Amino acid sequence: MTDLKKLNERVSAARRETEARGETFYPGASRIHLASFPPKERWDDWVELDSKSWPKRVEKRYMLIPTTCFNCESACGLLAYIDKDTLEVRKFEGNPEHPGSRGRNCAKGPATLNQITDPDRILHPLKRAGKRGEGKWVQVGWDEALDDIALRIAKAMREGRQREIMYHVGRPGEDGFTERVMAAWGVDGHNSHTNICSSGARAGYQFWCGIDRPSPDHARAKVILLISSHLETGHYFNPHAQRIMEAKKSGAKLVVLDTRLSNTATHADFWLATQPGSEAAVMLAIANHLIQNDLYNREYVERWWNWKEYLEATHPGLEATFESFERMLKAEYEGYTFEFAAQESGVNVETLRRVAETVATAGTRLSTHNWRSASSANEGGWQVARTLFFLNALMGAIAVPGGTYPNAWNKFVPRPIHLPRHPEYWSELTWPIEYPLTMYETSFLLPHLVKDGRGKLDTYFSRVYNPVWTNPDGFSWIEMLTDEAKTGLHVALTPTWNETAYFADYILPMGHSSERHDTHSYETHDAQWIGFRQPVMRAARERLGESVGDTRHTNPGEVWEENEFWLELSWRIDPDGELGIRPFVESKERPGARLTVEEYYRFLFENSVPGLPEKAAAEGLKPLEYMRRYGAFEVERDVGPVYEREVPAAELEDTVVDAHGRVFSRAKAPAPVNLAPTGAPPGDAEGRRFAGVQVGDRVLKGFPTPSGKLEFYSPTLAAWGWGEYAIPTYIKSHVHPENMAPDEMCLISTFRLPVQIHTRSANAKWLDEIAHTNPLWLHTRKAAEIGVRTGDLVRVETHTGYFVVKAWVTEGIKPEVVACSHHMGRWKLNEPSSGAVNAQRQLMATVSLDHTGSDWAIRRKKGAGPYASSDPDTSRIWWTDVGVHQNLTFPVHPDPISGMHCWHQAVRVKKAARGDRYGDISVDIEKSHQIFKDWLAKTRSAMDHSPDGTRRPAWLVRPVKPVAKAYKLPEPVVGR
Amino acid sequence: MNRARREPASAREGELFRSLAVVCEPTRNGAEVVIEALGLGGVPSAFSYTDLFEFQLYPYASVYLGVEGMLGGEARDRIAGFWRVLGETPVAEPDHLAVLLAAYAELADREGDAPDDEARSRWRHARGAFFWEHLASWLPVYLGRVAELDEGFYAKWSELLRMALTEEAKRFSAPELLPLHLREAEPLGDAAEMAGEEFLRALIAPVRTGCILTRSDLERCARDLELGSRKGERGFVLKSLLGQAPKEALGWLAAEARRQAKLLRGWPEAFAPITGFWNERAMATARFLDETAGALDD
Repeated sequence: MTDLKKLNERVSAARRETEARGETFYPGASRIHLASFPPKERWDDWVELDSKSWPKRVEKRYMLIPTTCFNCESACGLLAYIDKDTLEVRKFEGNPEHPGSRGRNCAKGPATLNQITDPDRILHPLKRAGKRGEGKWVQVGWDEALDDIALRIAKAMREGRQREIMYHVGRPGEDGFTERVMAAWGVDGHNSHTNICSSGARAGYQFWCGIDRPSPDHARAKVILLISSHLETGHYFNPHAQRIMEAKKSGAKLVVLDTRLSNTATHADFWLATQPGSEAAVMLAIANHLIQNDLYNREYVERWWNWKEYLEATHPGLEATFESFERMLKAEYEGYTFEFAAQESGVNVETLRRVAETVATAGTRLSTHNWRSASSANEGGWQVARTLFFLNALMGAIAVPGGTYPNAWNKFVPRPIHLPRHPEYWSELTWPIEYPLTMYETSFLLPHLVKDGRGKLDTYFSRVYNPVWTNPDGFSWIEMLTDEAKTGLHVALTPTWNETAYFADYILPMGHSSERHDTHSYETHDAQWIGFRQPVMRAARERLGESVGDTRHTNPGEVWEENEFWLELSWRIDPDGELGIRPFVESKERPGARLTVEEYYRFLFENSVPGLPEKAAAEGLKPLEYMRRYGAFEVERDVGPVYEREVPAAELEDTVVDAHGRVFSRAKAPAPVNLAPTGAPPGDAEGRRFAGVQVGDRVLKGFPTPSGKLEFYSPTLAAWGWGEYAIPTYIKSHVHPENMAPDEMCLISTFRLPVQIHTRSANAKWLDEIAHTNPLWLHTRKAAEIGVRTGDLVRVETHTGYFVVKAWVTEGIKPEVVACSHHMGRWKLNEPSSGAVNAQRQLMATVSLDHTGSDWAIRRKKGAGPYASSDPDTSRIWWTDVGVHQNLTFPVHPDPISGMHCWHQAVRVKKAARGDRYGDISVDIEKSHQIFKDWLAKTRSAMDHSPDGTRRPAWLVRPVKPVAKAYKLPEPVVGR
Repeated sequence: MNRARREPASAREGELFRSLAVVCEPTRNGAEVVIEALGLGGVPSAFSYTDLFEFQLYPYASVYLGVEGMLGGEARDRIAGFWRVLGETPVAEPDHLAVLLAAYAELADREGDAPDDEARSRWRHARGAFFWEHLASWLPVYLGRVAELDEGFYAKWSELLRMALTEEAKRFSAPELLPLHLREAEPLGDAAEMAGEEFLRALIAPVRTGCILTRSDLERCARDLELGSRKGERGFVLKSLLGQAPKEALGWLAAEARRQAKLLRGWPEAFAPITGFWNERAMATARFLDETAGALDD
């Protein structure tokens, strides 16, 4: 008689043994679930029937080569199917070996095929031939472009104009490579898109725990609370969505705050259609319920919050006991009743109560997430993330299974071959003095800061970024980019045409996801993994035994990749080493020669990723071969609460413990293995470094905050002039009804269309066919009031101008709110002429761009339509409507603390006026500049509020940190 | 139940069912490791697989549980509905035996992975329901025929699967009600008034007759009765046999129904409600066919 239990164990053992060899146990493709992926041991020669040959059974043989998607930030794994006969990519599917996406992709992943075969893509370096924006280009060689740019940068450096060199990135897609290039150049020229994206949320998380991103462990949660639409879009949406659904299937409750009836809202157990900007009030009402009813994790709060610091700072007369703190905690939040939250949010009291009661049942298994959404849309939006994480802090649901982790513990950034110097300069154009606490560069203010004379740009790189279209107030960007006195040379690094590239001097074509190298690691769950994006054709040719010089030789046309480009450009800027750049781009294997990407990644994978060499060796591979073969590696899983880890005795030497339990040590810190960015708590006055916190009789790692604890009370905010916001609180938004005129309503402009991604996907025909327009969501009541029906034109007036768009009448939005997705409204200035393609045509209208003085306008001349090209599908384009570019009409709204652009707009919505045409846009950029000044007046400048003579708290995360002396307040005074 | 990729874990309850599922798929490169782990010996020939699953015993629950006796239909919809109730998007062929076994394995794994008693209980309930409704409801009659038609590799596989099902039946006692597939299926007797073609189709619908008529069964019938065997789909062959010697053919079919009923005897008591249903159906079919044959004398 067969013993089934033993048989089951035998099968499991066989599976483990097979998988340990790097092979697949359950063969595919089959019906048995994810075994439908081709087994990895057959990725060199995979046979499928050719669909186009049907009904004949024609076998196609493929090499399957992994890479990662470069559309949204998630970096999900892709497998390129490369036809072995033609050496062309035939399709992209999911990579089952990728720990984050686990073989699954959203629509944008497979659509990479459209992007690499787009007939309108830019294949050769182009140099401007006419005036900026005129649309005239000549093809140039890479050498000419590189030499020209390198000479210019070297000249600026020799003349001490390092501040005039800037690199502005949209989608980084990699962990720190280009930041290190900027640092190697010695310039504080890194400029990200963060302040139009996530500064609000980052500030909320950073002030709590010293790490600025959340990593929710959705799959193991009991209650999931989202202030976002993460089941359909957003950061890590595919990895997160699949884990949210797993949790739901295990009985987890899903709470979604979303003003719109989004796809995420439809999956929620509790959908709270909150008034925009009221989200923090709702969070605080939930917190108050937990606090007043003693439903929070007392032991955790006492152990990990900096409650003593709070008492000392705000109630110095009270005895510093936890009981005193609890009394004060109750008093601080007693006003945040369900009734108050209902008044602010429009959600009824009973629903709020039920949600709070549900949250209370989660214990430590409460996963919460906010990234953009409300945090990125409201003045004070950073408090949305801070009040959301407040709930985790109350429940002890931080870095435990089912809770929310600080991202740096669920992310792995390996140490590169060279770690560059710190710049000696501070860029006032990206880190202005008025924003000492901004979470990264105030990038969207650049045209206004330049206009105010704070600096100019000698060489400006835009890289996979389209500020003219993506940022608010795009006409001000056009004004800056077309003024050669303000922008000396603009180099656009982009795979495809975009609105910013039209105003460039050089357009240098860079590869899509399957045409470039990057490593990256994202916080998709409680694990640390690295993904490897690679040029698949290069990998294929190398697999076939060919030697490839650089990625250009295997990409279409002369398309290159940024990493090789930066290495080569750096080499040419400093050919003799005079500028001190050369050592950071020099080969270690071949001194005197330039570093290659091959050597860069070989070093990285052989020396800086724990466990990878061993894992590779087990399969008879070298680390780089392993990554080329599988495209991803899991460094650690179930990381758990890092803050509870004991500090090794070797790291404690001549220690001092201060009154708050902070432990400082003279022992040298071990070189970090993981370079994921975290806060850097300051040392003591005697030169010891921060080592951890004393908890009981042990020294634990704690959090990377100045206190080493969770900072319920932020001494940083208090010290830099914002004492009233030092604890989690509610700030009424700029679109709070009290702050808007009676006839104004809130426009939500930040939501995405699930299959599109900013300006990254306009060249993906499959996606364009699915989603190509952005009507204005308008409630039936409001529509009746102004007399419009679905499809009618409406004029939406902002504080600087207006746009004309079609209405979509729906009850999926609150009556007092309108919404329009920002994903649409792409435009081009020129129709391709004389056979030359100088625009992307599938999703861009042709427009006229006019301006008189400060008045700028765009008028649509022609929508999308069919055209002949190398792709027969372009002759089948049936859509003409490509939406309206609303962001042009938005003035800048920099939050005075986080620096986040507060996206929500107070607008008036009217039936279109006589003469209004679809897509019309009109803006007065002088008004925009005045609004910039109005918001600037809300700030508390470091010149007036710095507690220590510096421009910014040194412990806060900052890409490319300059040397300490650059932190000193400037002389003479700026910003006055 | 689409399964997320999992790292190698310790022995999982669903492993055995998942590996047994591999065997009723066309054999692929790599399957030999699974087959060896199951102790089934060498890889079966492509001929064995094709003959058994493509020509004789289609591995789809809907063929045996649907009143049409064909792929798809309401029986498949019911199984797809089970996926939907769990919040899953059904796969294209949710009633394929490989999918059913893999889905059952997934439910077992989910029960094992459940974070708390409440979730575990929910998965256990789902697993039990799935077992009785969609596996136990037809596999006793199906596996009996597999063991008969392939005396080698697949007989061993069916025996392993029978044992695994028996263990599961001990875990989940049979529900009071018969599976919906069986409750809803009208017997052959009700087809007495049907037109000829409809009657022929009903004869090859197992859930109505209680027995499975394969191609090889019909060939055996022709041989036994020394009738000409036409080539074609089963309904056509059966029509031909009944056309040549109606009384004898009906008698043969009645005897076959009684013979197949005996194949159910090896199943343990836990399956009594199910095997009882199939036995009664087969015996009722036999009686009906005998009566029909007898009526021909008149």
